[in-house]
Amino acid sequence: MMLDNVLHAAILATTPILLAALGGLINRQAGIVNIGLEAMMLSGALAALIAAHVSGSWAVGLLAAAVAGLVSAAPLSILVTRFGANEIVAGLGLNVLIAGLIGYLLSDFYGVSGTLRLMPVPTLPRIDLPFIAGVPVLGAILSGKDVLTWAAWILVPLTALLLTRTRIGLRLRACGSSPATANSVGLSVPNLRDGATLAAGALAGLGGAALSLGLVGLFSEGLTGGRGFIALAAFYFGRNRPWPTAFACILFGFFDAAQIRLQGGGLPPELVQVLPYAVVILALTLASWRRRRGPSPEP
Amino acid sequence: MSGALPRALEDGLRLAMPFVAALLVGAILLAITGRDPFSTYAELFNEALGGQSRIAATLTAATPLIFTGLATAIAFRAGVFNVGVEGSFYLGGLAAAWVGFAWIGLGGTLQMLAALGFGAFVGGLWMLLPGWLRARMEVDEVVTTLMLNFIAIGIALWLVNGPLLAAGSANSATPMVLPEARLLRLIPPSTLNAGFLIGLAALVAYGVWLRLRVGGFENRLVGLNPRFARSVGISVASVILLAIVLSGVIGGLGGATHALGVVGRFSEGFSPGYGFTGIAVALLGRNRPVGILIGALIFGALTSAGTTVQLFADIPLDLVQVLEGTVMMLAVVEAVRWARRRRAVRAVAP
Repeated sequence: MMLDNVLHAAILATTPILLAALGGLINRQAGIVNIGLEAMMLSGALAALIAAHVSGSWAVGLLAAAVAGLVSAAPLSILVTRFGANEIVAGLGLNVLIAGLIGYLLSDFYGVSGTLRLMPVPTLPRIDLPFIAGVPVLGAILSGKDVLTWAAWILVPLTALLLTRTRIGLRLRACGSSPATANSVGLSVPNLRDGATLAAGALAGLGGAALSLGLVGLFSEGLTGGRGFIALAAFYFGRNRPWPTAFACILFGFFDAAQIRLQGGGLPPELVQVLPYAVVILALTLASWRRRRGPSPEP
Repeated sequence: MSGALPRALEDGLRLAMPFVAALLVGAILLAITGRDPFSTYAELFNEALGGQSRIAATLTAATPLIFTGLATAIAFRAGVFNVGVEGSFYLGGLAAAWVGFAWIGLGGTLQMLAALGFGAFVGGLWMLLPGWLRARMEVDEVVTTLMLNFIAIGIALWLVNGPLLAAGSANSATPMVLPEARLLRLIPPSTLNAGFLIGLAALVAYGVWLRLRVGGFENRLVGLNPRFARSVGISVASVILLAIVLSGVIGGLGGATHALGVVGRFSEGFSPGYGFTGIAVALLGRNRPVGILIGALIFGALTSAGTTVQLFADIPLDLVQVLEGTVMMLAVVEAVRWARRRRAVRAVAP
């Protein structure tokens, strides 16, 4: 079944983007645009592979991925919240720094350039659902998915709850929408923003693990291939709300899975890869157009 | 109570601090991995500046950064955060290469001028959309220009793998440009070329424009205080649009000189992130012509030295990336102001 194949691949391709995008949207709600998601994914992907190989357990790999993502987020966060660094430039710098660091360590410790294969690596187990697996479409969507995919989708409503229904969520959003007010009621804006950025790092790190342990079973310097920026595109498109963001991730995951299969259909893959970025520009333009067309405030 | 630091010294400190910190980070990394930081840095220094051919290599490596740094600075001055210079650089390079190999029959200098001009034109054209969106629709230019980079790279890759692919070539590259489209080599056999001089000329023109022309003053005013600028009758929207398109023009011109001067064609991986390094260059140089030149030279030295050190001393080139990333992260840290504030507080306290 062609459709089933595409759906199955699309859901798996969505997972890394979705995890990073959820982190990014929490970060954004707290008032920081995280351009460093790509770096956090990359370090998570590498840490997951090494830790899983050494320990023989994918769970340890996931833990390492979250920690690696968090550790790479820390310098970015501190520079932005405590030293007045510009979040965009510092985030771009982090991407350069982490990519360089990983390249350096790979060639120094493993003597490889670009790609690291470790054998054996316990990849993420995929869960086959007994009855649903045989059902067309539904089976392709639900069955045969790895644990991180399930975790990512469970996190979507949880993130929505966190942001709207919990004390910490309201405080985070206060930091984003009005830092001065948050500060005046006694919240520590830098601390809360640090927390949000570290959480984004951990989630993006898991997103990296979804690539290295979930999808391909090895690490390469180009493994993330701009997915950190696709995640950024997703939460901009979803206007920092979990469900619309998840919808954007599915859409981009579908592009990702479909581009291999569209090659026969005449559409060049280089142009399919560009679609998510174009969609974001379109979404931002539409949002601005709606805002400007909307009812003007009473004089 | 103001810290009595002269402005030039303060600018110098701002420029030096991120580099010193980055060298420290690099030294720690080198030491951890069992290498001697001092000899490594001495070697890097020697490879960057030891002898005419090494200096020429450094100037060559600095050339694209002069353009991308300047392009970023022009936008920054007007308060526009253009992170899309990479895209203009890519497409400008591709456009110039196309004119260079496909417009047969122009001949002589005209071929080169047409290629440069078309590269600059395409670079500027590419910034028209985000410029218009920012100026007229108030769409945040950071995200649109960032996204446009990936779109530009995708389009360039598609063209160079399909319609513009050199016949019989397995790797993604256009045919070589005609010899008359190539920029003059200044010190053969090094690849240092007239692009460096064009970059210097652009910096001088920028300096003059900032000081003498009304446009430069308006540009600065809009960047510093858009509301005031509007109230004194400056059309903020057109100044912003002009700044961002001009930024794209310079970025495209940079790509064109890179294609015609160094590579001789357009190929996959045309820019290893010159546009992004240009952001660091502009920030370190405080958007001033001399600052941009110094910033570009330092990053150029790092790149050219890193390449040869990797070849001869078994130190991964990635070290340069580590240094560069650290500098970028620290480029905008307000450490100097922070230190001055602390001093001021101490001075006030009894």
